[in-house]
Amino acid sequence: MSAVLRRLAVYLLAAWVAITVSFLLPRVVPGNPVAGAVARASQSGNCNSQCVLAVEEQLGFDVHKSLWDQYVEYIGNLAHGNLGQSWSENAPVGSLILSYLPWTLLLLGISTIISFVTGTTIGTLVAWRRGSWIDWIMPGATFFQAIPYFFLALVLVLIFGQTGTMLRWLPSLFGYDIYTVTPGFNGPYITSVLAHAILPVATVVLASIAGFLVAMRNQVITTMDEDFVLMAAAKGLPTRTVIWYAARNALLPVVSNFTIAISLVVSGQILVEIVFNYPGIGYHLNDALGKLDYSLVQGIFVVITLIVLAANLLADVVYVLIDPRARQIA
Amino acid sequence: MTIAPASLTEVAPTGGPGAVAFHRTRILHLPRSPKVIAGLVILGLFGVVAVIGRWAAPYSPNATDEKNWVRHVLVDGTGPGTAFPANYYPLPLPPSAAHWLGTTVFAQDALSQVLASTQATLFVGLLAAAIATVLSILFGVTAGYVGGGTDEGLSLVANVFLAIPGLPLLIVLADYVPSAGSSILLVAAIIAVTTWAYSARTLRAQTLSLRNRDFVEAARVSGESRLRIILVEVLPNLVPIVAASFLFTTLSAIGAYVAIAFLGLAGSPTSSPPGLWNWGEMLREGFANNAVRGGWWWWWAPPGIAVAMLGTGLALLNFGIDEFINPRLRAGGLSRKAARKAGISTSTRLGLTPVAHSIRNAPEPASKVDSANAAEPVLEIRGLCVDYGVGDEAVHAVMDCDLVLRRGQVLGLAGESGSGKTTLALSAIRLLRPPGVITAGQVLFHSRPISGDGPTGTIDLLAAGQQQLREVRWSEIAVVLQSALDSLNPVITIGAQFDDLLRVHRPHFSEAERWSRAGELLEMVGMNADRLRSYPHELSGGMRQRAMIAMAIALEPQVIILDEPTTALDVVTQREILEELIGLRDRIGFATLFITHDLSLLVELADEIAVMYAGRLMERAPAASLFHAPRLPYTHGLLHCFPPLHGARVSMEGIPGSPPDLRDLPSGCAFHPRCRWAMQQCREERPRLLPIDGSSREVACWLHRGDAVVPAELARPEPAAKGLVLAEAVKQAGDL
Repeated sequence: MSAVLRRLAVYLLAAWVAITVSFLLPRVVPGNPVAGAVARASQSGNCNSQCVLAVEEQLGFDVHKSLWDQYVEYIGNLAHGNLGQSWSENAPVGSLILSYLPWTLLLLGISTIISFVTGTTIGTLVAWRRGSWIDWIMPGATFFQAIPYFFLALVLVLIFGQTGTMLRWLPSLFGYDIYTVTPGFNGPYITSVLAHAILPVATVVLASIAGFLVAMRNQVITTMDEDFVLMAAAKGLPTRTVIWYAARNALLPVVSNFTIAISLVVSGQILVEIVFNYPGIGYHLNDALGKLDYSLVQGIFVVITLIVLAANLLADVVYVLIDPRARQIA
Repeated sequence: MTIAPASLTEVAPTGGPGAVAFHRTRILHLPRSPKVIAGLVILGLFGVVAVIGRWAAPYSPNATDEKNWVRHVLVDGTGPGTAFPANYYPLPLPPSAAHWLGTTVFAQDALSQVLASTQATLFVGLLAAAIATVLSILFGVTAGYVGGGTDEGLSLVANVFLAIPGLPLLIVLADYVPSAGSSILLVAAIIAVTTWAYSARTLRAQTLSLRNRDFVEAARVSGESRLRIILVEVLPNLVPIVAASFLFTTLSAIGAYVAIAFLGLAGSPTSSPPGLWNWGEMLREGFANNAVRGGWWWWWAPPGIAVAMLGTGLALLNFGIDEFINPRLRAGGLSRKAARKAGISTSTRLGLTPVAHSIRNAPEPASKVDSANAAEPVLEIRGLCVDYGVGDEAVHAVMDCDLVLRRGQVLGLAGESGSGKTTLALSAIRLLRPPGVITAGQVLFHSRPISGDGPTGTIDLLAAGQQQLREVRWSEIAVVLQSALDSLNPVITIGAQFDDLLRVHRPHFSEAERWSRAGELLEMVGMNADRLRSYPHELSGGMRQRAMIAMAIALEPQVIILDEPTTALDVVTQREILEELIGLRDRIGFATLFITHDLSLLVELADEIAVMYAGRLMERAPAASLFHAPRLPYTHGLLHCFPPLHGARVSMEGIPGSPPDLRDLPSGCAFHPRCRWAMQQCREERPRLLPIDGSSREVACWLHRGDAVVPAELARPEPAAKGLVLAEAVKQAGDL
């Protein structure tokens, strides 16, 4: 397992870097961040005197402690799960994030699984039937790959969303119908949550599927040149087994490159949540940015980083499980 | 934005067939495919707009005309007939002749904004990509080239950056750096910091593999300085990868810029200090002012489509570079147009080499040599012609080959690399990959199954369909390729591979029966049945090849094609495996087509040997005759370039020159430029493979025709009896 442990060390380091960056930035940025922040905020009319105080405190302004002491205190707080206090929501950042997190994880989980499974499946078929009409999927995939997530979200809202102007088929605002259903374990609420997840999930799937598709296609084509795939055909194995031999091996590099993919999906989803007013951490990150709620911004950044690192670790474990060679080295 | 996977294609970090084929002289040559051209056109258009857009725009992006450029809608409950003075709210105008992309709710011209925005968006993208590329080259090349602790440290930094999600980091950075919004340079620098790591990792892997190449090694040995080696030897070879990662980073950077502008972190043109117009800003203004709910798509859709188009252009170009880096991605090598003309489907199917529709039935081979030991033929190849590619670009790899493999016998097929041996064998059983195309001939398989329930009777393999082929594959005709490691599926155990095979061909076996049969087979080739639980990488080279052979005999086929089965092994293992094979052949009675470039190996094994040169069969004779009394100058040369495994020394002469380029064959006899006995006729006329009078052998050489004087080396007497013991054979050869 040493390969996984090694990766784990990298992720711990990455987490530490993210935490330290979010600590240092407001404190070492040249100029007077408080003044700048307040100026910007009062321009938009969002910052009252309470806000100014909060900003000052959060930015470590006028605090009579050395930077090091502040850092030790910050890390200590984090270790206890204390991410600070959000002035705009007047609640601990930790519990706020915990309440946002299920929404984000729901969206992320469903869409990543759908996208990965369909993307790699279609990618395999495109590679297998190369030279036929199916090649025309590639330019289309390229186009979809290049569309910004949030732009796709806007287009889907326009066409299918109830807040759009065309078909008005699906809800496109909030995580559930906040006017008619009560949160809890009841039918209407669950139905509402699922209905409200359709468009955001569709957005993330459509925007990310091409990545998996193109990656898998290229890998399968490369793998099909390997002798063992030719031998599978020589052995008279059924076509689906031959494809499976190629796809199973092509999957390995795709999984090992999951790092980049998941980063992109998470980044894209932040903006998708904003477009749909979907109550996950992405939406609240934007909200906190507007309200200059720096504790919340910092907390969300750290948590997003941790989610990505956890997803990476998961991908590493899966990789070791599906590649016997990695198992041996590990 | 998600473009990564185009460049996700693994670049094989070490040598081997998958490695990037770098030519020091051809740094980056983009394939002239429609994709690349489309990509270049798109990028060119955006480039032009970026330069002249601001001036070509009909209006200034900030120009506003609140009177004429919006529709004024009366607020309900105001105006005439109410107690309140008329109050209007503005609605943007849809596209019209005056405003091609309509107007915004602020009474501005949308087209002018899109055009003006192109410059900043593109500039930030390119600048960020340039900074990121420089960073990634510095990190990647240093890490890969210096290695050791430096590599560990730098790779760690890159991996850490790679693990931290880019956009959130970017958001936090942009948010805390107050002046970021107004400084396009700062925005680009921040984006670069969050996007360089992926390219650095790719470049490191590639540098690592380049470092161990011969030409870099040579430069190092000759005492060139490290910096010079990196600049002169390494960097030029990284150009395709640097180009690919530059495009990829440009796209990521544009995506990142648009995203933070959408979040309002890149400075707006109306704030102070003012930011620049960019597509993300347009999207932000549209979204923030209900342009989606209002259905005013003309305001926010064009900038979004522009991002996607630009991204498509970059990605299409990246496809071209990917295809250069990884030639396997090129479209099968069959040009669509030419293939259609030849009536061949371009849809490439593995294990079903296309046969040109114009194929004619080959006549009975003119020269039917009646060997004394005429066993019944099992595989008959008649007039087989194989091309790589179709139409004008076609390379004739196999031309007009006739071969007869007889039941229970070993037919050796010898020749240098590139002579067409493997092409001939693989195409005969329709396993040749694209762009291989069979253009003429017949391959008759006279089936009489040894065991199992295979088909009986004669099958023309070139006329057979997928299903018919599947019936004879492996159960009647098995194949063993050179590298067993490549032939075995690396991610499943040997046992599972036996299982896959037996489940299909012996459907009546239970799982336990399949397993015990597999174990039995391994024991037949001298392996422990426990090895069924091993993965291919856990076995030694010799064991893998044994496992492959065990798999080949699993269904007791009538024919086994062995393509250099022992070339990759050491001499001792080679011998053991060959002996194993002979033993199995005697037990099971399969016929073997044995392909090798080592003639001395064949003499022990083969009943008959055929020698190939430049795609044609040039000599065919009983093994002992060919070995002791070669008639073809080329065979003579081959015999004197491999030392025999045992026995007396033979002077190694080799063959001067190198095998000919199949695209540009010499006139006459293809071997004449390398032949020391070449005559005028050899340069002009191609000799045909014809029997030498009164013998059971054939040769294609003018020296044995007409009045030519046969050199002494090619006129040795036929050996007395067949089946000489090896030691004797070698001794004789040495004495001569």
